[in-house]
Amino acid sequence: MKNKTIKVDYLARVEGEGALYVKIKDNSLTDVKLKIFEPPRFFEAFLQGRNYSEAPDITARICGICPIAYQMSAVHAMEDAFGVTVDGQLRALRRLIYCGEWIESHALHVYMLHAPDFLGYTDAIQMAKDHPALVQRGLQLKKAGNEIVAFLGGREIHPINVRVGGFYKVPAKRELEPLAERLKWARDAALETVRWTATLDFPDFEQDYEFVALCHPGEYPFNEGRLVSNKGLDISVRDYDDSFVEEHVPYSNALHSIIKGRGAYFVGPLARYNLNFNRLSPMTQEAAHSAGLSYVCNNPFQSIIVRSVEILYACDEALRIIDQYERPDKPSVQVQPRAGTGYGCTEAPRGILYHRYSTDDNGVIIDAKIVPPTSQNQKTIENDLWQFIPKYLDLPSEKLTLQCEQAIRNYDPCISCATHFLKLYVNRE
Amino acid sequence: MHEFFLVKDLIRKITSLAHEQGASRVTGVIVKLGALSHISPDHFREHFIHASLGTVAEGARLNIEVLTDVTDPQSQEVLLENIEIYLAT
Repeated sequence: MKNKTIKVDYLARVEGEGALYVKIKDNSLTDVKLKIFEPPRFFEAFLQGRNYSEAPDITARICGICPIAYQMSAVHAMEDAFGVTVDGQLRALRRLIYCGEWIESHALHVYMLHAPDFLGYTDAIQMAKDHPALVQRGLQLKKAGNEIVAFLGGREIHPINVRVGGFYKVPAKRELEPLAERLKWARDAALETVRWTATLDFPDFEQDYEFVALCHPGEYPFNEGRLVSNKGLDISVRDYDDSFVEEHVPYSNALHSIIKGRGAYFVGPLARYNLNFNRLSPMTQEAAHSAGLSYVCNNPFQSIIVRSVEILYACDEALRIIDQYERPDKPSVQVQPRAGTGYGCTEAPRGILYHRYSTDDNGVIIDAKIVPPTSQNQKTIENDLWQFIPKYLDLPSEKLTLQCEQAIRNYDPCISCATHFLKLYVNRE
Repeated sequence: MHEFFLVKDLIRKITSLAHEQGASRVTGVIVKLGALSHISPDHFREHFIHASLGTVAEGARLNIEVLTDVTDPQSQEVLLENIEIYLAT
């Protein structure tokens, strides 16, 4: 018997890839297919037969970047089914934890994924050699967001403190003070981020999109509101299935979501910004205007500025919530399960995230439906590529790949390996 | 889910190495987390414990080193540095 140590040096890589197939005939683009190989996850099936109270923790596992969005859509859908209202400071804490998720997710995308495209680097590592301070600022901003999620959620990834009806535990006001100090720094850093992203060069590319986002009468949307678009859609979340449908496309494992009778639509920061500009805080509106943004932005490449504006808003909103916070008497309101169907839709960093659950008398889940933002944007991504690629047909494949990756990354699609996910196959005839 | 696949990939590699060496179990594992790998040591450890259940690496001592250099070429990676195995001769 003996022990032995083996030197390995093996890099673990995350599974999940996408590929873009482009067909060019006689120097004209004839086909575009964005394929996602990420294997089916069967979460909707996993949820069947589980208790309603398990939904926030199970759905949080769908994504390590936006678990709060999954938890929030799940709890709102369950509360809708059971006729429960969560308001006051508990509702405010839900906005606060959502702020944390937006900050960490947007900072990751802006600095680590999207900025290298604009600055001509293959990835953040290459960018860090020339711009170490920028990368450090991005990491620190992300950390500030993670700290909110870790503090309120119990841990920074797949948090465990969220429940139907509120939280398992809520903080005292004084416990929030260290967070506020960090967030003051983050708000300044976010303002610098807006100014910096505004200096990047953007391709001249605007399309006639249908933007879809939540719209709340008095606040920039996180958890609640009606589903509206710039082309006349105005429905309650309960009516989502009447207007939206998911289609299977034979070449991708991900479903494509469309508006019935109209087709592709666009969700995420650009949609929220365009439909809710006047609900941003005054300092955020001012920063957006100073960055050269109008009330409406139709250039998806400028989404990097809009994401930065949303980081700034999330920091500002988090500080407002902390300032006005008073510890509620109870960490949650009473929930009495009943048979029914509940609907929830919240604004994940990448766009609207829809959940629908049916339960029996005991709150056991009979049926679940989850529509993530990436599947809602896929058809619009493909449409963008149809318009974008013809301008770059003469580029060698390597440069064409970079252009296509950048166009796809505008949407911050949530695919494993998003930093280097794209394989481009060009078929020239 | 991303972390799940990442750790599962590591366990697959560890199992394969242990098998090649004729080891009955793995007693220690050393990994390095890159500065841009976006996974915390606690989170990694939790996933590792779950993923190793029922494998040769179940119960292995896990040593995690967190790297801080964002300019390191491997800063986005998780590196399996070495494994310690138990050989029944």
